Amino acid sequence: MAQCVQSVQELVQDSFTPMVAVLCSETAERMSRKNRLSFAELLRPFCRLTSEGHIRDPNNVLQSVKGLRISVNGLCPSLKPPSSTLTPAQRQVLHHIVLSSQPQEGAVSSISAGDYQLSFSGTTPWFEAYREAFLQTMPSSEHEFLNHYLACLLVVSSSETVPFEQFLKLSQEQHQIQHSGEYSSPKWFIPNTLKYYVLLHDVSQGDDHRAETVFEDMKQKYGSQGCYLLKINSRSEGPSDQDQMPDPWSQYLHKSQTHTHTQTLCTGHVLSGSAACALFPGVTSDTPSQSLDTAALPQLSACDTSRRASDSITSGAPGGHGACLTLNDHDRIRQFIQEFTFRGLLPHVEKNIRQLNDQLVSRKGLSRSLFTATKKWFGGGKAPEKSVAEPKSTTGLLYPPEAPELQIRKMADLCFLVQHYELAYSCYHTAKKDFLSDQAMLYAAGALEMAAVSAFLQPGAPRPYPAHYMDTAIQTYKDTCRNMVLAERCTLLSVDILKSQGKYAEAATLLIKMTSEDSDLRSALLLEQAAHCFVNMKTPMVRKFAFHMILAGHRFSKAGQRRHALRCYCQAMQVYQDRGWSLAEDHINFTIGRQSFTLQQTEKAVDAFKVILEKESQQTATQQGAFLREYLYVTTFSLSPGGWPEGLSELPLPCIDSSATRVYFGPERRPAEGEKQAATHVSLDQEYDQDTATMWCQLELQLVCAANKGAAPSAFQPAQYCLHSQTDNLRRPLAVLQGQSNPHTRGVEEPLKVALSLSDLTLLWRFTADGDEAVLSNEDAPTALVLSCFYTLCNVCIDLCFCAGETLLVRGRQELKIQGLRLNQTKEEKMSVRHGRDERLNPIVTAPMPSWRYGVFFLHFPSALLCGEIRKAYIEFCNMSSVGLRGLRVVSTHPTFFTFGSSSSPHTPDTPVTPHSAQNCSAYKTVVASEPQQPPHVLVAAQDFLQPSSIISIPIEGGILKPGASMQLPLWLRGPDKEGVHEINFLFYYESTEKGGKISHRVLRHTVFICSSRSLSVQPTSSGTLVFVDVENVNLSEAGVKEFHIVQVSSCGQRWCLQSCINPSYHKEWCLSSRERAKLCFRAVQSEKYTFADLNLASERVVSSATPCGDFFFRCCEAQTQSPAEQAQTLELDLHLIVLWKAFVVEDNKQLILEGQLHVALQNVGQKSTEPQSVSTTLSCLLCSTITSLTRIHSKVLTRAFLGLYLWSQRRVFCCSEGADPCTLFSWVGKSQYRLVLSPEEVLCLPLRACFYSAGVYDLSSCRVLVRPIQSDAPPESVHSHCPALIIINNA
Amino acid sequence: MAVCIAVIAKENYPLYIRSVPTQNELKFHYTVHTSLDVVEEKISAVGKSIGDQRELYLGLLYPTEDYKVYGYVTNSKVKFVIVVDSSNTSLRDNEIRSMFRKLHNSFTDVMCNPFHNPGDQIQSRTFDGIVSGMMVQTA
Repeated sequence: MAQCVQSVQELVQDSFTPMVAVLCSETAERMSRKNRLSFAELLRPFCRLTSEGHIRDPNNVLQSVKGLRISVNGLCPSLKPPSSTLTPAQRQVLHHIVLSSQPQEGAVSSISAGDYQLSFSGTTPWFEAYREAFLQTMPSSEHEFLNHYLACLLVVSSSETVPFEQFLKLSQEQHQIQHSGEYSSPKWFIPNTLKYYVLLHDVSQGDDHRAETVFEDMKQKYGSQGCYLLKINSRSEGPSDQDQMPDPWSQYLHKSQTHTHTQTLCTGHVLSGSAACALFPGVTSDTPSQSLDTAALPQLSACDTSRRASDSITSGAPGGHGACLTLNDHDRIRQFIQEFTFRGLLPHVEKNIRQLNDQLVSRKGLSRSLFTATKKWFGGGKAPEKSVAEPKSTTGLLYPPEAPELQIRKMADLCFLVQHYELAYSCYHTAKKDFLSDQAMLYAAGALEMAAVSAFLQPGAPRPYPAHYMDTAIQTYKDTCRNMVLAERCTLLSVDILKSQGKYAEAATLLIKMTSEDSDLRSALLLEQAAHCFVNMKTPMVRKFAFHMILAGHRFSKAGQRRHALRCYCQAMQVYQDRGWSLAEDHINFTIGRQSFTLQQTEKAVDAFKVILEKESQQTATQQGAFLREYLYVTTFSLSPGGWPEGLSELPLPCIDSSATRVYFGPERRPAEGEKQAATHVSLDQEYDQDTATMWCQLELQLVCAANKGAAPSAFQPAQYCLHSQTDNLRRPLAVLQGQSNPHTRGVEEPLKVALSLSDLTLLWRFTADGDEAVLSNEDAPTALVLSCFYTLCNVCIDLCFCAGETLLVRGRQELKIQGLRLNQTKEEKMSVRHGRDERLNPIVTAPMPSWRYGVFFLHFPSALLCGEIRKAYIEFCNMSSVGLRGLRVVSTHPTFFTFGSSSSPHTPDTPVTPHSAQNCSAYKTVVASEPQQPPHVLVAAQDFLQPSSIISIPIEGGILKPGASMQLPLWLRGPDKEGVHEINFLFYYESTEKGGKISHRVLRHTVFICSSRSLSVQPTSSGTLVFVDVENVNLSEAGVKEFHIVQVSSCGQRWCLQSCINPSYHKEWCLSSRERAKLCFRAVQSEKYTFADLNLASERVVSSATPCGDFFFRCCEAQTQSPAEQAQTLELDLHLIVLWKAFVVEDNKQLILEGQLHVALQNVGQKSTEPQSVSTTLSCLLCSTITSLTRIHSKVLTRAFLGLYLWSQRRVFCCSEGADPCTLFSWVGKSQYRLVLSPEEVLCLPLRACFYSAGVYDLSSCRVLVRPIQSDAPPESVHSHCPALIIINNA
Repeated sequence: MAVCIAVIAKENYPLYIRSVPTQNELKFHYTVHTSLDVVEEKISAVGKSIGDQRELYLGLLYPTEDYKVYGYVTNSKVKFVIVVDSSNTSLRDNEIRSMFRKLHNSFTDVMCNPFHNPGDQIQSRTFDGIVSGMMVQTA
């Protein structure tokens, strides 16, 4: 139970006041109407007596009457009998009273119970208003007299020509109303009602003297105690100093209007409250008072319809009551009421009590039992067909008005009204017993109720409050009599009394019992009070409070009291919030959302729905869908049209995994343009790989070192183009204006089981100007005005769309909140959860930098190459930014893969030179071979080809690539020597021509994947000055490559160079089909200088010292030897061979010619091959084989040779020889296997024969000789000659 | 048999709530939540008078029109609440007691699971099975 303004005693007393009726003559009424008040209203503010009255009880003991209030109402007779339920109109009134009374702002008390912190309004003015109104609207009933009229004021104006006639008329009218029996209401207390004659005198208009004389006559006629001259309207109407006059009516009228004048005034009232007006558009000003059946409100209406109509007008105007009354008049009225009460009413009551008492005492002579016995026998004076017949029926049992039991009750009521509670209690008690014995349940309940109340009100409390009386009464009213109104009144009183005694639990029980289906409003109010009871208990029952609040809210919403419903739910929410009761929480939030929305508090509604969606939900998919739909629907209403993006509401969905945000600084990725293949650079989708990142970082460091002449600046920080959770985000990234940054968040989580469709995602940003730095401007670029400022990318703008039947589309935003990595260094950091900074989303925007915007393109870039294949491609650099670009450099993980050509050899004229190579689009620079026998020797400086490191500066014409300019360079590629897939990374570096920017340089990444397949395997050997090169076609893909042609073998070295080719088929290209082998034999000669010697096997000679052949050669050498010193050494010592080949490839029915070069190094050129030493120590045998005889058989198909194998040993050994050779170009024929014993020092010649299919140089030393000592069982050892046994077959 | 069985943590948030599917789940949530007030009242009342030894079974917490709510509190202040249909008169106090005991044993088993994080929602199949056994079987 909430705290009340009134004390309980006051409340109960005010609930039962002596009722006084007013009958006014027309002129008198008109007189009072000058003040915009009816006469009854005029008196109302003065109805509480300030002074103490006295009354003598039947025992002649003087009783004081303190603070008595009388209730003055206009007489409004009605034919209809009062019903035991509230009429719809009355309900409506109550509804509006509750509706108009809303909690005041700030009237909030907070309670902490356990770990709950609740704040709610401690007072419930709407309940008090309801209670007051309800008690006022109590229909008068047969079984009690408390609200029956005790007296009647007959008011006649002094301006009346014959006032006495009027008095007579009114008196007769009153008599008729009371006694004719036509009117069932109002009810009268006592048959001879007190009539009090009032002469109303208008001072400003009437004649004082005449009034006095008339009053004198009245005194004579009615006695001085029964009449009064009331002078009012001391001043004439006018806009005088009204403001200074107090207006005591306003507060009374405010209530009384709503009570007595019902609908009209309610409407007016609603109108005055703009909030209420908005709520109920149906109840507007044009709702006519006539629409209500006035007869339906007999108890409420104090005036007739016409008066009411005028009332409604008057009440519309603010202030203005009592305009003609001076303070003196107020005093007169007060005086009048006092006079009336003390002189008229109280003596009248006293007299009646005495009379009733006398009657009862006289009857007491008869014994009670005898009396009842008589009743039984004779059927008695009253008509108790009562208890026996229909004990439960209320209507069935009616005492006649003169019944002695009712007399007791009447006396009790009288005593109660004049505050003689002791006597009242004993009377009620007696009456109760009588009624109970008669089984007159309604009467008994009434007596019980009043007995309890008077027991409570007795001063000094001689007996405890009989709560069970009340309980019984309520029970009886409710169950037996089915009179909910009475039961409710009883409950309200009882609850208040219990509350005053601190019995909150009992009060709550009573309140909850009183809730029923028949009235939502009552149930809601009572449940709310019950909830307050729970929370006011000594140990507050918070959860019960919350639960009953929810029940109350539910009933309120059913009763159409949305504001109250919303308030109840909000209060209950405090208990359920964030405590794991998600189902309940969802329900409350949903209801709050709905109620808020219907009350047009869309903000609140949106918030409530948002909470539902944000939480992890236990709801089913359909439920979630419903929530979502509702949310979206509400949100569409709440969105204010302007104020973008502040106007955008924060969406709870989808859940963005903020930590997975990737920020990408760079241009949008563009697909390849035609043949041009753009550099891959960095893309958002790339998975982070520590190794790759390190690799790029190292490459960049190399570049920066090269750009800064060998030393990296101390503030070097690798450029980061894509930031995400694994990158180092402690520093603010530097970004360039022009909208190049492009954050992107991945990891959109969806907690719902409902599909969402998102569209139109936009990033929003916030901009902070850097306070310290002055804003610099760049004259060249008008767009780039702000050079240094801070951006915070804060939000994502999302269109949230949910399709279910109709499509609801909501545009909102979501904040990206990024936490840094969890710190785990110090102890404190380990103990607590702390996160580092993450500046991912706060880039510093700097001056514009040149950018290629993917302006690095590759043309004719292959994806598959043969090992050693040379391909020419083009690279194009376009500067699309507004700033010039310089210092272009590139570094790669595979420096041997590509070359831009050496700086010494000019690019122009471009290759090829010879017509034949032009035909084949050769990459090589070729010349027509002039002197076949004389290999041209080119002397070069090795330094020309040596790069200081793997970093290649790309020459730009003029040193600067101007904005908008582009540049195309040839690029030669050479397939890696190892077969397989190679990942080749390029890092391009460039600087801005503008100095002093925050970003010193920029880099661009490019990654290619090259699949290299096997081409030729080259094995060089040397013997003396002879150089053999075994070449085998190891290409496996039969489909592609048809055959390889060896075009040229070039040598280069410090001391040796190739002089001539020994092979007989000199001018013919060596053709190798799959798995074929060839042996090339060359003679080398000494030279003094570093020489390139080209031995072309074909008609054209490739200038091996020129680009690209020489470039690749040197690059490969470089790659093989790490340090430059070692490299120089290698170049001095060795003879390097470059084998240039052509491959004929059939692809798509077209023949292509591919070119390539292979590099091999040969050591120990010029040394005589050492004699093979003993194979094993145990067997000191020496074996040598030479060709004994060579017979050349010239034939077209094959050449047969007769050979002899000489064996010689120091010891006796067992030999086993076989001429086995996997070589395909010749084969052993005839007997090729021997097993024999070799005596010591014996020389044996084994004849062998071989066939050769084509001309060429063959090494016959491949035949196997196995040897073992003759006595031992050791496994035979293989012995073979180290000397080549060459045979040259010439073409015939 | 029961229509709703709930396990509430010491801090009064639900660890497990299971109700018969035929009826509004939300209603049971409210009922169980509200019953916690009575549970707390009973605990505090007992704590003062007797001291350490305390009957775990709290008996009937409160009857509503449709249901009877019974309570049980373990020594670690975990609450068990069983809601029974009011019309079900066959259930005696002793049977309710044994239901609670069974529930408690099963709950202890759940807590003994080394992989269970105390304070988390109970997601044990065994526990589920025990609870299902005690619920009204709706065919």
